[in-house]
Amino acid sequence: MSTTNAGLAFKAGHKNVKVYLDGVPGWKKAGNHVEASENFIKKGNIVLIDLRSKKDYEAGHVPRAHNISMEDLEYAEDDFPANKAAPIVVYGNGDDAKKAFKIIKGWGCKKGSIASVDFAAWKKAGNPIETGVTPDEIVWVRKLGKYEITIAEFMKISEGSADKLALDVRTNDEVDEGKFAKARHIPLDDLQGQMSSLPKGKEIVVHCTTGARAEMASTELRNAGFKSRYLVATVECDGPECEVYE
Amino acid sequence: MNHKILKRLLPLACGAAFLASGCAQHEPVQAGNKAAPAVQAEAKKKQKNVFKGKIVGKSNKAKTISIKVGKGAKAKTMMVKFDDNTKGVKHAVKGHAAIIKFKGEGKNRIATVIKPKLAKLPKGTSEMKTPELKALMASGKKYVLVDARPTARFHEGTIPGSIGIDVPTMKKKNGAALLPKNKDIQLVFYCGGPT
Repeated sequence: MSTTNAGLAFKAGHKNVKVYLDGVPGWKKAGNHVEASENFIKKGNIVLIDLRSKKDYEAGHVPRAHNISMEDLEYAEDDFPANKAAPIVVYGNGDDAKKAFKIIKGWGCKKGSIASVDFAAWKKAGNPIETGVTPDEIVWVRKLGKYEITIAEFMKISEGSADKLALDVRTNDEVDEGKFAKARHIPLDDLQGQMSSLPKGKEIVVHCTTGARAEMASTELRNAGFKSRYLVATVECDGPECEVYE
Repeated sequence: MNHKILKRLLPLACGAAFLASGCAQHEPVQAGNKAAPAVQAEAKKKQKNVFKGKIVGKSNKAKTISIKVGKGAKAKTMMVKFDDNTKGVKHAVKGHAAIIKFKGEGKNRIATVIKPKLAKLPKGTSEMKTPELKALMASGKKYVLVDARPTARFHEGTIPGSIGIDVPTMKKKNGAALLPKNKDIQLVFYCGGPT
């Protein structure tokens, strides 16, 4: 917390200490952009966009960057990952990155940022450069959180497993539409009361409709001493047939 | 249908309430004395129906919020439901601190009011707002802007010109050494929101 650090700075003798309580959310809400670090541009799990012309891009660009020129950006929403949590980092000439940041934010992207890359400076600093044509498609794969499980692994477990159990924490109404045949069902609200009925020796992998409740349930289970992971994915069931996608 | 009946009954109910309170004033004083401890007990009970802590999760589908209450080993994750009558649901944001007033018990706890738990400014510091910060950045004066969020957040996207010093780093023995030597320079600390 900023206040903790500010307090420590005052204790260390600093005389002019202020706290910007509204923080990054307030900053962005006021229409300002944020900048990605060089480390993040090089190594982060991001979608990097070079807003310059095709010619400039092909002559040399920051590794991993896709080329979508400033003129084309407006029409390129469908080329971006459907998952709005994908961090999108843009760079270009002049104020283009700032303008692009606003356009992308307008699409509902939650994690846009600007790489304040002046390409000439990037090159001069001895940073790596790639040349050639832009890749066909923007591909972005979400990295799993600490206790998340992949869709593939979850699907396997949902078919029955000796040492793992799929747990469905949706409401009774939702489950009436259908559920995984071999999953246990305990609505999230009843989990505390019914936890003791779960097998202690098995890892409990939890799902709901999106992942929000699954994460809550999984945390509860781990707090109670269970081994547990959860699925972040959209789950739609019709009878015993369930469709799972990101 | 029900609404209509309710509406018709409402003026009546109000009248009744007015009459009741009017009557009480004419009652002998001792009735008031009797009521006082009851009110106090009620207040105490109400005080208990509050969770303060960090929001761990929120599900709009199940209309459930989970909140971490207590510190250290005693910390517990509690679940509270919310409904259309809950005020301030927007303040239940994962990772932010909140104060949730609720009614009911156990799994029937329903949040009535949710408020953000605002950070208290430590001694010797004061708040800065966005326009002030922008003015400072444009002023050409010397200042150091410190992003106190976890390092990963800092790398993802920080307010231009910031340095990143997260809380664990600052708490280290030589954490303050990362700040400028000149102790008159304006320092501005921020993190991920008003909590």
